[in-house]
Amino acid sequence: MDFDTSVKLNIYQMVARTTRMPTSIDVALGIGCSMADAEQAFQRLVEKRLLVLEPSSPSRIRMAPPFSGIVTQHQVKIQDKVYFANCAWDAFGIAAALKHDADIESACADCGETLQFQIRNGRPLPHEGVVHFAVPAAQWWQDIVYT
Amino acid sequence: MLFFRSEEHVDHWCQANGVSKRPLVSLDQLWQLAVIWYGNRLTVESRRPGPQEMVTIFSQIGLEGPFWDPKSDQWATAP
Repeated sequence: MDFDTSVKLNIYQMVARTTRMPTSIDVALGIGCSMADAEQAFQRLVEKRLLVLEPSSPSRIRMAPPFSGIVTQHQVKIQDKVYFANCAWDAFGIAAALKHDADIESACADCGETLQFQIRNGRPLPHEGVVHFAVPAAQWWQDIVYT
Repeated sequence: MLFFRSEEHVDHWCQANGVSKRPLVSLDQLWQLAVIWYGNRLTVESRRPGPQEMVTIFSQIGLEGPFWDPKSDQWATAP
């Protein structure tokens, strides 16, 4: 396995286990490399569109899709753990990535009413709701945080 | 990529925020997309799909047209 893949897997395994997004220090300690090496790997993973870093902070991850490094309106509860997702797609994506039943809580972007979705046995239970993609695919990465 | 209670709420939100209404995605389509896109994210083999793969994935679940094409230049000059 190459170094960048080790870094990527370490990030995902850590956030899956703890619900907390690791920093470059955590990753360096986790795989036994220098912080600088971990941050250089972060940059290469950004170029591959697998990570989004916090602005002006090479050590902190804002997004390792589907996981969010900050609190968002999209909560995904799996067993006793609560994860935060970047968007509607990623809220379902966390359940898909972790291959587990999940209780998802979000809100209608229009009226703010709480929306709850359940993933059971590999599929969502019927529930009212739709998803609106405001940005066309060709422009998603022009401002991925907004997207 | 936001959740809404219904299409009526999408219409209201688009009007209130000056956003053009785009194609809607059902919860079942969203789940299929999540499984295809993120199902192996915690594995060594995981990678982001390339542009043509994206078109194929979207098409498989009924999301077709230039809106879903990451190579489309129809949107490149849109305001």
